[in-house]
Amino acid sequence: MKEINLKVKIGDFEFQNPITVASGTFGYIEKYMDDAKLRKLGAIVPKTITLNPQDGNPAPRIVETASGMINSIGIENEGVDSFIENKLPKLQKIGIPIIVSISGKTKDEFLRIAEKLNKCDIAFLELNLSCPNLGHKKLVAQDSQATFDTIKAVKEVSKARIIAKLSPNVTDISEIALSAEEGKADALSLVNTFWAMAIDIKKRIPLIGNVTGGLSGPAIKPIALSMVYKVRQVTRIPIIAMGGIMDYKDALEFIIAGATFVAVGTANFINPNAPLEILKGIKEYLKENNISDINQLIGSLKTK
Amino acid sequence: MLKVQFKTKIVSNKKICPKYFSLVLDKKFSKKEISAGQFLNIKVSDGLKPLFRRPFSISRFKDNLEVLYEPVGEGTKILSQKEPGEILDVLGPLGNNFIKPEKDVKQIVFIAGGVGVAPFIGFSDDLKSFKGNKIILFGVRTKEHTFNLDVFRNNGFRVFISTDDGSKGVKGRVSELFSKIDVNEKGTICYVCGPKPMMRSAQDFVIKNNLSAQGSFEEVMACGIGTCRGCVIKTKSGFKTVCNDGPVFDLKEIIF
Ligand SMILES: Cc1cc2nc3c(=O)[nH]c(=O)nc-3n(C[C@H](O)[C@H](O)[C@H](O)COP(=O)(O)OP(=O)(O)OC[C@H]3O[C@@H](n4cnc5c(N)ncnc54)[C@H](O)[C@@H]3O)c2cc1C
Ligand SMILES: Cc1cc2nc3c(=O)[nH]c(=O)nc-3n(C[C@H](O)[C@H](O)[C@H](O)COP(=O)(O)O)c2cc1C
Repeated sequence: MKEINLKVKIGDFEFQNPITVASGTFGYIEKYMDDAKLRKLGAIVPKTITLNPQDGNPAPRIVETASGMINSIGIENEGVDSFIENKLPKLQKIGIPIIVSISGKTKDEFLRIAEKLNKCDIAFLELNLSCPNLGHKKLVAQDSQATFDTIKAVKEVSKARIIAKLSPNVTDISEIALSAEEGKADALSLVNTFWAMAIDIKKRIPLIGNVTGGLSGPAIKPIALSMVYKVRQVTRIPIIAMGGIMDYKDALEFIIAGATFVAVGTANFINPNAPLEILKGIKEYLKENNISDINQLIGSLKTK
Repeated sequence: MLKVQFKTKIVSNKKICPKYFSLVLDKKFSKKEISAGQFLNIKVSDGLKPLFRRPFSISRFKDNLEVLYEPVGEGTKILSQKEPGEILDVLGPLGNNFIKPEKDVKQIVFIAGGVGVAPFIGFSDDLKSFKGNKIILFGVRTKEHTFNLDVFRNNGFRVFISTDDGSKGVKGRVSELFSKIDVNEKGTICYVCGPKPMMRSAQDFVIKNNLSAQGSFEEVMACGIGTCRGCVIKTKSGFKTVCNDGPVFDLKEIIF
């Protein structure tokens, strides 16, 4: 059998394979990282960066729950200037595409970050839209108009292609997805974490310093999967899927439901080698099923 | 994708006293690769329960890697049921380490609360050749939490014990033993590891007596390598991750 094709495209941009890491779950730590292995991924998405440095939220910031975890890190990060100076060059040296995740408190902040990154030769920006829409009660990703406005504005100033990362905390995610497409997003990342909480019944205190946080991990996978499927029914825009992907079987479900790319999140904490094991598993699945091109699998779900 | 992930066989895993277990792994690191104070992040189950790895100090590393642990919940209970020959998926050695005493140090004090004694076992091996005054103040709940402490004695430490219920040594908290420290000796370094209230009382003590001190801290962790920013602790210079900036910090820098 001929070589199996794992290359996928978002717009005109080609990736060597469809496996990446979810923002906030992967940090490039030189002393621990095996670059030769890391280079096998399709792309890297570092933690969301903001215009100014952020200290993050009070402890405790994480708690383990049934088949998952709740986090409220508060986008602790060094800010875009320091990121450009200290982190990005090292990431770019790895040699695979870097998808830079950004977030702002206002549209203007998104624009200022995007402008600063214009000098850095970045193929993709991922807009983390699960951020408060200042002056409004909702998150940007909970408001079709704000989603459209933010994406359209960034699209106009940025040299990079734009991925819109959506929140699952909405009534109908396909509505927001359509607004993102209208705003000319090049792809969607589905999904961010689900609002959640846990309580210490002995002390009657929340187990997260910020009271509530975001649920991730295997617990959310079936819901995330249904959202990817739902969005795929209304648009052809490429989807980067995430939510509880632990192994290649989980990843395949998302691909069959319509995802072009899959991102491994919480699983990185449990098995840092998970993304590569998933890549290997997908390759073997394709071989066993006589599928020569991963693109044939994308959205290949059979329904009556 | 990490250089620090490895699978290793369990050599032994047995009770060393009614409350604590000692786990020995078929893994060695050279002196350059490992230091006292570092920890391992161990996957105790192949399934999703529990999901996270569990962090444990490296208690000894002269020969095989060793861990001293107390079963307190689900993860540590599963670990305690593992048999020799079983394979564990481990990340490590992770985190920073205790900084060895400078040349002008004349007195070394270990202050340990409960299973917080673990990292001091290997550290006492490192300090065997140190000629000054060496003591360990070991505070536990009951006699059942004490084990054979000859390793410290053999490494030249005098051992003092306190128990909450008075079943062994002095009755009360480990702070009852602070009087064993020669506070007039300014060349003193205290190394502290134990539950938060103990860390706090040790901090009060070293500040009051103007002694230098390093503390090894615990927070619930996910990744163990500094990625998730989950296990932060508040310090005078902002939030720091226990897993990567620590677990060892200047005790006086911590804000409780
Ligand atoms: C750097 C570091 C070194 C440690 N070294 C040792 C050691 O040498 N020996 C030892 O016995 N224990 C050590 N611990 C604590 C050990 O990690 C916890 O006891 C263990 O994770 C509990 O898991 P569990 O599933 O049995 O308990 P759970 O059911 O998860 O919880 C039981 C109790 O343990 C607490 N706990 C849970 N996870 C952690 C955690 N990651 N850190 C601290 N407390 C936790 C919970 O708050 C709860 O009170 C260390 C922790 C850290 C962060
Ligand atoms: C500790 C932690 C931190 C995260 N930080 C970010 C972030 O900074 N930006 C972002 O867009 N998503 C962030 N996420 C969400 C993940 O990227 C991902 O969307 C989500 O966790 C679902 O995937 P998973 O179940 O595989 O983890 C974070 C998730 C976790 C668990």
